[in-house]
Amino acid sequence: MNLKKYLVRALHRLQKGPGYTYKELLVWYCDNTNTHGPKRIIKEGPKKKLIWFFLTLLFASLVFWQWGILINTYLSYNVTSSLSIGFKTMKFPAVTVCNANPFKYSEVKHLLKELDRLIEAALERILQPTPGNGSENLSPPLNLELWNQIPLVLIDEHDKDNPIILDIFETNQTAVGNETAMGNETKKKYKLAVKLCSHQGSDNCTYRNFSSAAQAVTEWYILQSTSILSKVPLHERIRMGYQAEDMILACLYGAEPCNYKNFTQIYHPDHGNCYIFNWGMDEEALNSSNPGAEFGLKLILDISQQDYIPYLSSAAGARLMLHQQKSFPFLKDQGIYAMAGTETSIGVLVDELERMGYPYSDCTVNGSDVPVKNLYSQYNTSYSIQACLRSCFQNHMVEICGCGHYMFPLPEGVSYCNNEDNPGWAYCYSSLRSSIKQRQICIDSCKETCNDTQYKMTISMADWPSEASEDWIFHILSYERDMSTNVTLDRNGIIKLNIYFQEYNYRTISESAATTIVWLLSSLGGQFGFWMGGSVLCLIEFGEIIIDSLWITIINVISWCKGLKQRRARAQYPDAPPTVSELVEAHTNLGFQHEAVGAVPGAEALPPEPGTPPPNYDSLRVQPPGPDSDADTE
Amino acid sequence: AATAPGKKITARLKRTLPVRGPQAPTLSELMRWYCLNTNTHGCRRIVVSRGRLRRLLWILLTLSAVGLILWQCAELLMNYYSASVSVTVQFQKLPFPAVTICNINPYKYSAMKEYLSELDKETKKALETFYGFSEGKSKVRRSVDDWNSTGSDFFQQIPLLKVEDFSRTATDLHSGQKRKIEGSVFHKDSSIVNSGDSNDIIGFQLCDANNRSECALYTFSSGVNAIQEWYKLHYMNIMAQIPLETKEKLSYSADDLLLTCFFDGLSCDKRHFTRFHHPLHGNCYTFNSGKNGTILSTSTGGSEYGLQVVLYIDEADYNPFLVTSTGAKIIVHDQNEYPFIEDIGTEIETAAATSIGMHFTRSRKLSKPYSDCTETGADIPVENLYNKSYSLQICLHSCFQKAMVDSCGCAQYAQPLPAGAEYCNYKKNPNWMYCYYRLHEKFVKEQLGCQQICKDACSFKEWALTTSIAQWPSTVSEDWMLRVLSWDKGQKLNKKLNKTDLANLMVFYKDLNERFISENPANTLVILLSNFGGQLGLWMSCSVVCVIEIVEVFFIDSLSIVLRRQWQKAKKWWRGRQRAGAPERQGHHNPACLDEDLPTFTTALRLPLPQDGPLPRTPPPNYSTLRLEAAFTEQLPDTLELGRR
Repeated sequence: MNLKKYLVRALHRLQKGPGYTYKELLVWYCDNTNTHGPKRIIKEGPKKKLIWFFLTLLFASLVFWQWGILINTYLSYNVTSSLSIGFKTMKFPAVTVCNANPFKYSEVKHLLKELDRLIEAALERILQPTPGNGSENLSPPLNLELWNQIPLVLIDEHDKDNPIILDIFETNQTAVGNETAMGNETKKKYKLAVKLCSHQGSDNCTYRNFSSAAQAVTEWYILQSTSILSKVPLHERIRMGYQAEDMILACLYGAEPCNYKNFTQIYHPDHGNCYIFNWGMDEEALNSSNPGAEFGLKLILDISQQDYIPYLSSAAGARLMLHQQKSFPFLKDQGIYAMAGTETSIGVLVDELERMGYPYSDCTVNGSDVPVKNLYSQYNTSYSIQACLRSCFQNHMVEICGCGHYMFPLPEGVSYCNNEDNPGWAYCYSSLRSSIKQRQICIDSCKETCNDTQYKMTISMADWPSEASEDWIFHILSYERDMSTNVTLDRNGIIKLNIYFQEYNYRTISESAATTIVWLLSSLGGQFGFWMGGSVLCLIEFGEIIIDSLWITIINVISWCKGLKQRRARAQYPDAPPTVSELVEAHTNLGFQHEAVGAVPGAEALPPEPGTPPPNYDSLRVQPPGPDSDADTE
Repeated sequence: AATAPGKKITARLKRTLPVRGPQAPTLSELMRWYCLNTNTHGCRRIVVSRGRLRRLLWILLTLSAVGLILWQCAELLMNYYSASVSVTVQFQKLPFPAVTICNINPYKYSAMKEYLSELDKETKKALETFYGFSEGKSKVRRSVDDWNSTGSDFFQQIPLLKVEDFSRTATDLHSGQKRKIEGSVFHKDSSIVNSGDSNDIIGFQLCDANNRSECALYTFSSGVNAIQEWYKLHYMNIMAQIPLETKEKLSYSADDLLLTCFFDGLSCDKRHFTRFHHPLHGNCYTFNSGKNGTILSTSTGGSEYGLQVVLYIDEADYNPFLVTSTGAKIIVHDQNEYPFIEDIGTEIETAAATSIGMHFTRSRKLSKPYSDCTETGADIPVENLYNKSYSLQICLHSCFQKAMVDSCGCAQYAQPLPAGAEYCNYKKNPNWMYCYYRLHEKFVKEQLGCQQICKDACSFKEWALTTSIAQWPSTVSEDWMLRVLSWDKGQKLNKKLNKTDLANLMVFYKDLNERFISENPANTLVILLSNFGGQLGLWMSCSVVCVIEIVEVFFIDSLSIVLRRQWQKAKKWWRGRQRAGAPERQGHHNPACLDEDLPTFTTALRLPLPQDGPLPRTPPPNYSTLRLEAAFTEQLPDTLELGRR
């Protein structure tokens, strides 16, 4: 009893609450809350009460439903993009120029001599298949060691089901000749293939088929020359490539003259020596603040086509690429050609995409969170998806084949593949290269960068130099380069390039979060306000009421437990039990039949003194209120 | 009275709420009640403010708040259908597009000889007459009489004319006679209208076959255009009469066109190409057309992993009048798209390596009501004649073809046939060319309504191409390359290939980033409602409940009050009339007025409830106790409430 009083007082102190029963509490809440619906429930007539009750319930559920939608929307991290186009002073892109041919043939001839003789002999046999001519007449015997490492074979496909494989330098060469001679009349059925074996002489071989002999020869030559050149140290390879002063004949940036010294040399495995203008590695990147060819970069290059390696690269021209400062030029992917004997004008539009990182999109800012070791970091360049893919490939190559491919940078402590040390490398490489699984692994592990910059180029070409100006231009350029009065240049080697910003030089698409936390809050508030006129305070109010009702529950439970105890006590020590008439009198109130029903739930909270009979109705009216009266009035 | 705080509150409520909505006797009472008890802010201020100025101020503020809400909500509604654009970049394995390759020259000239020899002869004659050009020195100039004997169908059909612009007379090539031009003159090149001194203008006249006076003269500033256009007209006539199978045979086979093929590091051959017959370009070959169910994809960017083909362009076998440039045309398109080579093809030079870097962009627009585009084309009233997915170009072409069939009775050669129609040729439809030109004129001037009917497709794929050219083969590799390629081509060819007959083409993805530009609805219903809620809450702290309140008070309650008053008035008037006739009766009017005589228990039970009596669910109190309690009411208001419960 004391405890309950204490609790009641404690409850009072704690909550200063509005009532002792759920009903009082609810009524008080409805009357005083700031949300709009509940007030109506208690203020209106019975029918409207019902309507308002359901309306309030409906609105409340609507609010919760829509909140769910809003929170879901927020968690999907949508972005909106804004586009801006215009001209501004921008960093001029880094311009990489290379020759399509990696090395001067005159310099590498001593290395490739054997190979060239082999292929010439082979071609001779394939194309003019009459035995006993040409190739045998060559004075030094052919070095078949190279050939046997990766041989070219002819596949006779007259019989579709069991093709006959013919080695070009093998003993049955005469048979080849006859067959080919027969092929003159029928349709051509021969195919050239590259035979790749996991070990020399082993049976584990595949034939890489080619529909065209030209393609087969090129592939074969690339494989062989790769193996030979990978043994040459880097400084030697650089020496064999095109030198800046030979290649870059004239340079003009805006109104300022520049020369080959303004270019940074980089060794590119595909194209030998490449030269990068405005790379921004050593000095600040140049800005360009004017559109138009007059303010761009003008270059005159010489690619000296006579010095091309005949079997390695069949296309002649300069390879160039525009890219961002401090990024590695991946010419095979993004590079374009410039044709000899022409003037190529390139108008540049910088197409930028600035994206938000995690969680808005799955991109990487600097590549540090990508699980692939970036091998291109040895060039001190920034992360790019191409660098990642190539590094990924090279890592796989080292893992599986035990050596690195010549076209990609080497991880530490690994050497490049060559035929002597790794006889099966070509087989290993070509199976790895065509493996879909390996590619998928790399695609999955690499992430694109958040800031994607592309240089959109408008390319136009014209013949250069013109017939009329040809003579003096060649004369001057030859004089300047070689200090000779003889013309050392010709149409087949000379290229003019103009690279400049277009009138609109940037198109930037930048992302911003579509749903911020502020947006979420205001939308939540809007919803709550729209349906119920509520705010955060209303939620707090509601929480308060829940705490209050918890208190009431606690009190009720305690009192119920007490009552139970007392009843048990009463059962043990039965006092004079109330007579039937007394009980009946206590519970029936004549003329108020309806309350008889209501009296039953009140019975739980039994009056504190078990001995005293329940009060009579009339006496109740004047009785001072006490905690026990709840049960009766109900 | 701690017995029932809840009841106390209810009682207090009842005291503070003397009148509820519809019970209010007058409208002003109702308004007052509303203003005091509404949940919206502002209104209460009007009632509780003291002083006229202050009240006026509050009225103004409240009204302006209401105005602002209405305005802002209208703005929100009007901007509901707006879209926001999002650009996503995804790095992934990309499907390789279909690449359609055509020789610029549609049919082998040598094979076409039997069909075109007549026309070519005529064309050469025309060249000779107008420009004094003769191909071979050995050729003897033929006289005008000779021409008649050869029976020049072509000139009779469409005469080539030399026009003296100002006199509006023309020299007929066929008869050599001058004649007056009737009908309207159409200038294909408008510039000649200004240049007065060019008096020799060549053109041709198209007449309505049924009505000879109805003629249109088409003139060109240059004979090159005129001859080509004239030749093309006749050519289409001839080709329209040749069945498709024959035409396919006349054109290049895959073996003819493709010398080598290399895709994704692997060799490929003609089986990877699908033939596709284009009316103007002959046989075209589509790489990766998806016909056999699989669409190739690339998982590595860069030139070596794309498509590399060497094309054989037999320049010697070109039609000299139909096409004047050499090379191939390619188009990169989606597998479901129709390749409109004549419209958007890229030309490929011979003796060069053309490297085409692609960048893939996919776009999607929102259809109605956000923008006027169509998802599938099913809602466009133009039948899709192409067996491909909808595009604007397809719609326009189909629409024109439809109009052509409707008004000229036959179909134009360059577009597919609608069901039941056949291609025009002047044996069957002597009138078609005039009709076609007239229709085309209308089409260009947007008079056919095609441009209005056809809508953009909502989603489209675009491959942005960066084309660059290098010399190929290089001077040092030319020798072996040509030899090996000749061998590839087959030993039949004894002569070595010429490098101007070859074109090297590389099509590859520059990167595997797919850009996806999509429009998203900027607003959803949830957001719109949130914004409404924000506006309502900001200006007046209002919610839907307030809106219901307003409806309730201003419409239902006010109406009921007005109605009640009218009813009472009517009753009063009726009573007044009755009173004039009959004695007054009061029983109905004041049922709660019980003071007159004490009712018995039974009558009390029958009585209607007093106006602010107990709630209907409580049982009617015992009459005597009620009376007794009434004596206490003054002292114990709380117990009165209890009793009523």
